[in-house]
Amino acid sequence: MLTSSAKLLLTGLLCAGCAVAGAADLSVICNSRVPLTAGDVRDLFLGEKQFAGAVKLVPVDNSSAQSVFLDKVLKMNAAKYSTTWTKKSFRDGINPPLLTGSDAEALAYVKRTPGACSYVTTPTPPDVVVVARL
Amino acid sequence: MGTTTPRRAGASRAWVGALLVAGLGHTLVTHAAVADSDRIAALEQKLDQSLQLIGQLSARVHDLEAQVAQGVPVAAARRPGTAAAAAATAAAAQPGTPAATPPATAAATPPDTAQRLAKVEQTVTEMTASAGRRAEEGMATHGFADVGVGNHNATFSNYQGANVGELDFFLTPRLGSRTRALFELNFEVGSDGSVGVDLERAQLGYQFADSATVWLGRFHTPYGYYNTAFHHGQQIATSLRRPRFIQFEDQGGIMPAHTVGAWLTGAQRVGDEKVTYDVFIGNSQRIQDHTLDMNNAGNTHGSTIMGGNLGLLLSGALDGLKVGVDVFQTRIQDEDQSPSYVTQLRSYGAYAAYDTDSWEDIAEFHVFSNQDLTGRTGTHHSDAGFVQLGYRAGRYTPYARYERGAFQQSDDYFFAQASGSSYYRTALGLRFDVDLVSALKLELADTHLTDRLIGSYDEALLQYAIRF
Repeated sequence: MLTSSAKLLLTGLLCAGCAVAGAADLSVICNSRVPLTAGDVRDLFLGEKQFAGAVKLVPVDNSSAQSVFLDKVLKMNAAKYSTTWTKKSFRDGINPPLLTGSDAEALAYVKRTPGACSYVTTPTPPDVVVVARL
Repeated sequence: MGTTTPRRAGASRAWVGALLVAGLGHTLVTHAAVADSDRIAALEQKLDQSLQLIGQLSARVHDLEAQVAQGVPVAAARRPGTAAAAAATAAAAQPGTPAATPPATAAATPPDTAQRLAKVEQTVTEMTASAGRRAEEGMATHGFADVGVGNHNATFSNYQGANVGELDFFLTPRLGSRTRALFELNFEVGSDGSVGVDLERAQLGYQFADSATVWLGRFHTPYGYYNTAFHHGQQIATSLRRPRFIQFEDQGGIMPAHTVGAWLTGAQRVGDEKVTYDVFIGNSQRIQDHTLDMNNAGNTHGSTIMGGNLGLLLSGALDGLKVGVDVFQTRIQDEDQSPSYVTQLRSYGAYAAYDTDSWEDIAEFHVFSNQDLTGRTGTHHSDAGFVQLGYRAGRYTPYARYERGAFQQSDDYFFAQASGSSYYRTALGLRFDVDLVSALKLELADTHLTDRLIGSYDEALLQYAIRF
């Protein structure tokens, strides 16, 4: 029988493994009618890009993959992301991205909302556009 | 007082209490030690079972998420070996829910289970969709508040002690893809110590593109960097207060911090850099009761304030650096005089702000060239500026600021304002981020008044600021 410490270590290793797997599979996705490029993703999630042609963009955060996204794409932590958006809202009167709680929720929102973009760690269905895969 | 306990008696009771607590703790520990091995064995067994169950459930959830993502029917894509997890999930569900069927039944009738799972999946999808819609509706409300204490009031130096800074709400309703609105309501303490309410901003806008939004209403005059970057909301500002010369009009500021009119603003990428611009026109301000007033209702002579701001956000090695220039001119009537003085105010500004993970440095400088349009005192030149350096070291941000204003007192525009005297101030401060939404700031400052009033005063100020 495993000792408590060994179990803690095992659990930690499993979590780390999950995190690594999640980090490797991050996909930035958009509704099928959004013409967006990988270079636009940072501006999109920081409120600097709100239109793609005539399409109004709707960025959507996914809390289950947010830490990986912030780290790999925006290169900032959650605190700075929050503060950046508070300042942006205050200066420019725009609202921060909506927040979904899982890949399934993010996918469902992106599929049904024109202009919506989010990010997931699970395989993506064919009816969304993968803007970037990290 | 009769209720005061002698110190020695209090100490004795404390010792007795400590001994009792220690004895009780020892008894419990001894008792626990007897049954320790049995309980650990039982707990380890339960933990093993729990880990096994978590593993099965995790696998099942992963499968379901993948199937939902790919639009594959749940029953068709079920992985071998996950029936136990599905059964466990069903068993764990609350009685009365569709998934509360006993495990044996679920295992015996796979099509039934598949139907139930499909139904659960549909319900979850509907719930998440509904949650998403809920998030889209309504009006986003944000706000700031701060309180403080010091040997002087941070804004009105004639007061000392504890003070209420402000309570500020700003609302950004979601109106549509291109229509925008921003309202800011501020409750603040005035120079007479009473609480006043100001509609700080009331902007209705239309966004043509990322590079062009036009706003109508009352907005923060886009001169320099600080006035639009921080304005109200001390929690997002590193320092404890604004530089004195760009304070709000009713708190001693000598520049028109608000304008009622129209404002075109936007940003455009040029290569890796980004160019920002602002162009605005509005009612010219006036001086009334020795304070600038932005003429919310319009003015009686039709004169205007107009100006612009051009900025450049750099990238690469200079990522985080913004530099810019601004200019505005307006015609200010001093209504405290009879007959009124009228001044043509021209301001030319330059600024640089370096904002990275580690540094927040801001420098802003303005030159004023004011002409007395009544022909009595001619043209005058004044200037004001500040440099602020801040270094973010985890939750601590020490900062230093030097600011000065050299205002010609023969210029009625400055002479007519209660805070229009020349000064310089040095300040050292420390910001401590208590958490993501609140900050504690300490500032030590030394202010010198150098012409209309001659004197100096030292300040030790503490502020607690939040956002919500």
